[in-house]
Amino acid sequence: MIRYTLRRLILLFVTLWLLTLFLFALNYFFPGDALTNMTGVRANDALAYQRLVSERSFDSSLFSQYLAFLGHFISGDWGQSLSTQRDVFTDLLPLLGATLELSVLAMALAMAIGAPLGLYAAGQQRGSMDRVVMGLSLSAYSIPVFWLAQLFILFFAVKLGWTPISGQVNPLFDIDVQSGSILLDILLSNSPYKGAALADAINHLWLPVIVLAIMPATMLIRITRNSMLEVLQQNYIRSARARGLSETRILLRHALPNAMQPVVRQLGLMFSILMSNIIVTEVIFNWPGVGSWLVKSIYERDYPVMQGGLFAIAALILLVNVAVELFHAWRYPQVRKELYAER
Amino acid sequence: MRFTQIAIVVPFATLSALLSGCSPTVHDAAPLQEGIVYCSEGNPESFNPQLGTSGTTIDASSAQLYDRLIDYDETQQTFVPALATAWQALDNGKRYRFSLRDDVQFHSTPWFTPTRSFNADDVVFSFRRWLHEDHPYHNVNGGSYPFFTASGLNKLITQIRAIDAHTVEFELARSDSSFLANLATDFAIILSAEYGAELLARGTPEQLDKRPIGTGPFVFEDFRKDLIIRYQRHDNYWREPAAIKQLVYSITQSANKRMLKLLTGECDVIPYPLVEELALLDTGDEIKITSTVNPNIAFWAFNTERPPFDNVKVRRALAHAINRQAIIQTVYNGNARLATGILPETSWAYSPVDLTYGYNPERARELLAEAGFPEGFSFDIWAMPVQRAYNPNAQKMAELIQADLAQVGVQANIVSYEWNAFRRRLARDEHDSVLIGWIADNADPDNFFRPLLSCAALNVGTNRANWCDPKFDDLLLRAITVDSLERRKGLYHEAENWMYREVPLVPIANSMRFQAFRSDIQGVEVPAYGGLSFRHAYRQSKASAAASEAQQ
Repeated sequence: MIRYTLRRLILLFVTLWLLTLFLFALNYFFPGDALTNMTGVRANDALAYQRLVSERSFDSSLFSQYLAFLGHFISGDWGQSLSTQRDVFTDLLPLLGATLELSVLAMALAMAIGAPLGLYAAGQQRGSMDRVVMGLSLSAYSIPVFWLAQLFILFFAVKLGWTPISGQVNPLFDIDVQSGSILLDILLSNSPYKGAALADAINHLWLPVIVLAIMPATMLIRITRNSMLEVLQQNYIRSARARGLSETRILLRHALPNAMQPVVRQLGLMFSILMSNIIVTEVIFNWPGVGSWLVKSIYERDYPVMQGGLFAIAALILLVNVAVELFHAWRYPQVRKELYAER
Repeated sequence: MRFTQIAIVVPFATLSALLSGCSPTVHDAAPLQEGIVYCSEGNPESFNPQLGTSGTTIDASSAQLYDRLIDYDETQQTFVPALATAWQALDNGKRYRFSLRDDVQFHSTPWFTPTRSFNADDVVFSFRRWLHEDHPYHNVNGGSYPFFTASGLNKLITQIRAIDAHTVEFELARSDSSFLANLATDFAIILSAEYGAELLARGTPEQLDKRPIGTGPFVFEDFRKDLIIRYQRHDNYWREPAAIKQLVYSITQSANKRMLKLLTGECDVIPYPLVEELALLDTGDEIKITSTVNPNIAFWAFNTERPPFDNVKVRRALAHAINRQAIIQTVYNGNARLATGILPETSWAYSPVDLTYGYNPERARELLAEAGFPEGFSFDIWAMPVQRAYNPNAQKMAELIQADLAQVGVQANIVSYEWNAFRRRLARDEHDSVLIGWIADNADPDNFFRPLLSCAALNVGTNRANWCDPKFDDLLLRAITVDSLERRKGLYHEAENWMYREVPLVPIANSMRFQAFRSDIQGVEVPAYGGLSFRHAYRQSKASAAASEAQQ
């Protein structure tokens, strides 16, 4: 396991390093001055610009420029925004919190809906409920998120008036931004109206969370169903049945843990899909997250922000994937054995 | 099979737990009753109106954060005291002396605590900032003061000094009939000299315009780009403090989104509503739409420095080629008046003679042929990405113009950028032609000419036609130096005639400024000249609304 963990971690660092190389190269491919693209300081601010030229080794070779870039990047100096002149890294942290909150809740909801429904469908194999669940999941899977979000907004918010459509909480509840995650921020705040603010925040949350959860949930339904059906064909299930164990016990104790193995493996992929949907969802719901920030920066050609947003999202996806893989290998020893046997 | 029952129960339990979160929210929580959410249409460029002319910046700063020496009372059409209690013109209008109020407190915030109240130093500081190029703050945050340069105020005022702690005196280069009007605009705000000095000592002068300190009815608290601006009530305000405790600008760029947020109650007030679309929805009496006559003009400006627009025949041809009546119907839904010149009907210098080119594609083709373009040509139309009072949908307008121009063989490409980038690029004259407009800052007709078409306006980037004509400039100068209204009117008419000959821009429409409110919001002021004011705004509680209905 240690060897496997090390291999994964090294691969993670290599990928992150390649990502920094890519970001560094982007500065030269974007139109305009490379140093400005990197730091957000324009040449007409002569004093600061001159200081940066030496700080960032722009008076020397490309290689030392990269080293300087890497040094600053690791120490959290990601430059300043071209449009607001604010520090990119400081601005990024609360946005990341908001994005994480949305994605974690959506992922949790997807699992809470997807896995049980998949099991249910497997139990009803080829029955009418199986067909209904599978049909629904296939059609839900094929609905694009931007359309679904608009549809939900029109129906739940405008028609029924159940929910607001933008932001994290009613801005009049003056909640200080600390972690970026609104539920945490409300709990951390010293607002005398915590209860009301919390209710309001949940009211803002549920619609985007459902919109985001639908795609991974439908994937989970199908993966869970298929793997459950496969496991039910295995000999150890047959022998369990032969030994006269109750059906519920067979399913819960013998089939389910094994059926979850391929499901866990797919979680990383599902998270990647979730992240691409989250960008669209954040824009539609005015969610103050990394996704909407990145889209805005593209509109405004704000290169330092664009790089920060790209790196944050890419790194998040990588980290989650590695974490899932490590968990997978740790939880399912047979996977580890397969991995080592390959060598 | 019990297991499958469990499997089906879990997802539904989760969903219903989530949905229970959407039980009706606590609408009567105190903060929600004591604040107002205004869904503004964009990010302010800074919080100092001296630095720009964008309506978004003014709405977010002038009336909320600052005060001026004098204010303009629209109903009385006179100037009324604000920070100055009295003023007198001396030396035949070449010297003005202002007596200042002495009980005015600046905002006290976590980043600045004032030790003294407002005095003459603050006035001198605020005016010298843009007046004197060697002022320590002159070049901070861009160093460009478009309104003051374009209106000529920076050339007009030769000297400003404090006579004593509560008296200041302005010396003018000549007597100018628009001087007081310019002082009453949203741009001539008063900053805190003490805050300025403190920031200089701290080495962070750029904060002056980003974390503003003023004397206005609201105190700035926080700004997050694309998301929110937050203000708190200024409890020591020298006039009656605002009725609401908190004011929030929720930045919502899409007009559709603003309308939806108004319907769901997330916005209390929105600017530039989609009037037609709102009328189609059955909103009952939840939403009111009001309109104010707005002294504005939407126009299509040609970059007259660039060929082929340096040829007056080409400009006339294009003016003939577009069907402005169709634009009024389609873009404004009929809620605008066909412009007859650059001055709107509300101006006292307005003359009813139509000084525009009628829709005449035949004539346009002839003129193009005469100018040497019988086959037409291709160019860019820049269309604003945002709605403004003068133009609710520049994109649509550009498409209509594009179709009209295709009829005479001219190919137009529509170009747009994010609003701040758009304005920056315009100021650098990167455009061929642009659909934009102007809202008057004061009641003086001069405000439609010098900021838009004078040579002085070239440098500050408000002269979208990039047009500089000495004869025209001379007319404008004469118009502000004479005192008689009749003679000024004549001169402005002459100037309009000259514009008719030269066509640096095509006037399109004068429109109304619309805003939509939740019906429990009262007292939001939309002055014809200048930005929104929330000083008198309040939320009518349900109980008092019912009571007032019962009285009726």
